[in-house]
Amino acid sequence: MQLFFQDLVNGILTGGILALVALGFSLVWGIMNIINLAHGTFIMLGAYVTYQLFVSFHLDPFLCIPIAFVVLFALGYVTQLSIINYVVRAPVLTTFLLTFGLSLLLENVILLIWTGDTRSVTTGYSGAHLDVGGITIPLVKLLTLVIALAIGGLTQLWLARTKLGRAIRATSMDVGAAQLTGVRVAHVYAIVFALSAGLAGAAGSLISVSYAFSPSSATPFLIKGFIVCVLGGLGSVQGALVGGLVYGIVETFASQYIGAGYADAVALAVLLVILVFRPTGIMGRATA
Amino acid sequence: MNGEFLRIDEVGMRFGGLRALDGVSFDVERGTVLGLIGPNGSGKTTLMNVISGVYKPSAGSVRFKGTAIASLPSYEVCNIGIARTFQIVRPFANLTVLENVAVGSMFGRDRKPTHEAFERAEALLETVGLARVARRPASDLTIPDRKRLEVAKALALDPEVLLLDEVMAGLNATEVDEALELLRAVNARGVTLIVVEHLMKAIMAISRTIVVLVEGRKIAEGSPAEIAASPQVIEAYLGARFAQRQRQ
Amino acid sequence: MIGIAGNRVAILVAALAMLALLFVPLAKSDYTNALFRGILMYGAMSYGWNVIGGYTGYVSFGNVVFFGIGAYAAALLATHGITDIGLSIVAAMVAAALFAVVLGIPVLRLQGHYFGIATLSIALAAQDLISNIDAFGATNGLSPKAATLFGAAVPYVVTYYAMWVVCALALAGTYAVSRSRLGYALVAIRENEGAAAVLGINPTKYKVIAWAISGMMGGGAGAVFVYANSYIDPATAFAVDNNVFPIVMALLGGVGTVAGPLLGAFILTAINETLWNHFPFIHTLFFGAVIVIVVLFLPRGLLALIAARRSWSLYVQHLRAYRV
Ligand SMILES: Nc1ncnc2c1ncn2[C@@H]1O[C@H](COP(=O)(O)OP(=O)(O)OP(=O)(O)O)[C@@H](O)[C@H]1O
Ligand SMILES: [Mg+2]
Repeated sequence: MQLFFQDLVNGILTGGILALVALGFSLVWGIMNIINLAHGTFIMLGAYVTYQLFVSFHLDPFLCIPIAFVVLFALGYVTQLSIINYVVRAPVLTTFLLTFGLSLLLENVILLIWTGDTRSVTTGYSGAHLDVGGITIPLVKLLTLVIALAIGGLTQLWLARTKLGRAIRATSMDVGAAQLTGVRVAHVYAIVFALSAGLAGAAGSLISVSYAFSPSSATPFLIKGFIVCVLGGLGSVQGALVGGLVYGIVETFASQYIGAGYADAVALAVLLVILVFRPTGIMGRATA
Repeated sequence: MNGEFLRIDEVGMRFGGLRALDGVSFDVERGTVLGLIGPNGSGKTTLMNVISGVYKPSAGSVRFKGTAIASLPSYEVCNIGIARTFQIVRPFANLTVLENVAVGSMFGRDRKPTHEAFERAEALLETVGLARVARRPASDLTIPDRKRLEVAKALALDPEVLLLDEVMAGLNATEVDEALELLRAVNARGVTLIVVEHLMKAIMAISRTIVVLVEGRKIAEGSPAEIAASPQVIEAYLGARFAQRQRQ
Repeated sequence: MIGIAGNRVAILVAALAMLALLFVPLAKSDYTNALFRGILMYGAMSYGWNVIGGYTGYVSFGNVVFFGIGAYAAALLATHGITDIGLSIVAAMVAAALFAVVLGIPVLRLQGHYFGIATLSIALAAQDLISNIDAFGATNGLSPKAATLFGAAVPYVVTYYAMWVVCALALAGTYAVSRSRLGYALVAIRENEGAAAVLGINPTKYKVIAWAISGMMGGGAGAVFVYANSYIDPATAFAVDNNVFPIVMALLGGVGTVAGPLLGAFILTAINETLWNHFPFIHTLFFGAVIVIVVLFLPRGLLALIAARRSWSLYVQHLRAYRV
């Protein structure tokens, strides 16, 4: 029983970060109908930015979150306006390949700057943990969960309350109608893509504290982004959160009871089974 | 003898909370021309989709020559002799007009080898008046020509029953007359027609029986003369349209 | 463009190029053989992708799985003493086709992004699974003995000819498909699945057939690769390059054409080779850029560009079409 609750807690802690990993991915998919295969690489960029700030300036990784967000936001904005904007309406082959090409390009940039070595950010409090009734809760992961939830909440508030946020939601429901009411779709898309990249950057910062990472860590995070979206639905904060938590728990139990080596295979099998029975994901096409 | 040719029996179709069709029943006799009319959104296209196997009805049954076809997928419905056109045309945009039609002859009931299918497609394009654009990609066609292409593709299947969903929309008066002539010729060869059309003149001219749908329910069925005289229909359907026309 | 085979002159050129490729080993250079064997291998895989992604319009992002299955089928046969290369190719094709049928029936119901993700997941899951199974050598891989043919040992150069045969079969198979009812069924499904169905085309049946053919082409290439490489492990068999190169090649040459994949294989291999030789460290960066450029400026491939002759306006037109 003890083990069960420990796994559950671990699953929830993992789920928080996965929700943030998926959130940006889900926004771009849900609103722009583009699957951004470079999202995992954006996350890694966020992790490396944090790593660099930590190494060069001894900046606390949690304080790096806004910086990583801003850096990736800017990169996302430029990428959208200069490249993605030209394929927004293109068929899936085009957008898949284009974003894949981008991810290759960025991954190579990462390799050039930071090499392929595995990196991690270890702070003075990295090993600290709480002990609640025999269940261990690593402090860093708890903080990560809280921050991930806070970022998700802020995003939700921003989408719901601001003029731009509402324009984004209108666009996700009906591009044509949004255009008619004066929404500048290209601008909305650029903001969505930038926001998505910014969220990836923030996720990367958080990941850098809890996990060791290398340029090739991008793909697993990307895949997890898929799974969370398929579980939770597209384009909404709640969906990403539900999907992230569910998947975090499933993954933790799967590696506990089936074996860590199979964790990814199990995750992918779950994804396939869900898709086969619900061809557009568990929640279908949710709107924000 | 014809009672059991095509029978629509208590067909219902729901989309979430919306009842697009509600207990619709009627028989279609072999060799007839049945007009299906009703205001926008009354469920005409939905009924076409049910008969052709694109949708499974949520209630009721469709029987064709004694077999239940409501649960068959559309390619099987096609193979037993029911062809249709789409109101919102669906050309194979990157294929030529000729190829579009040839695909129909290659599959459907005939399963002709490719070269025969192309020969038949040439002939059909002549019939529907598309021979002049046979080798152009279907994406180049004008709206009326796309409607003609829909008809040609359906005819290529050599059907026993042909469902035509607003194939005359957007045609001018002469073109409507040509289309009516074509449909009469097709019908004369023994093909049963179910025609959905907003153009009253055309529907009245070609139909032997007319079924009127309003909000998913059948409110009347009868000869064109009976329908034109039915106070119910005039009120629920023609009335509204006449009033509309007078305003314009 | 008339017909679903694509430009006839281009097909003729592709056929002649295939014939010319028969003479490559006369140069007696291992480097040249390996280079052109690579073109043939990627050509076959690109043809495989083209059947499902190009002709049928189901954009698979996991076709590498067939290459991997073919490779492992051959490697496993070899560990059981069967090293006949002809037999290995056939067995690999059968294994890949069976896999395509079994998985295709559920997965080909998915569309668009979901199909892309599902196929990508299949490839990743297959790699994960094989990495965990000892009978497949797990992450250590398998090293088959040298190939034989009809019981006799054969020189290494036979792997070149075997790859030629696989690629030639893929080209000829694609041509045959494009001239047949099957080809029209696939294109009709690509253009509008619902409209295809009311013309009597059973979409599931034809999609599964297409994927099985697609699998055979990739599987055959995998079988020969095992003997050419004399080693296979999950990372090699399911390499990202093997997944993406064939797609970019088809795109570069012309998606849904008979000549496109071979043309694309030539050009992309040339680009890739040059980049490797001149910029070993930033080669992926350039390669990523090549993909971006091809996708942005040549989404219908070089063949369409040549055919259109108004190259400049064609690509401006593409840029206009898809942006907001
Ligand atoms: N796939 C669907 N999902 C949800 N609602 C649908 C769907 N198809 C049709 N409807 C609804 O069902 C009702 C009937 O639509 P239908 O297209 O059958 O009408 P119609 O009689 O053909 O109208 P029109 O004359 O405009 O062509 C409408 O309210 C329509 O919005
Ligand atoms: Mg309609």
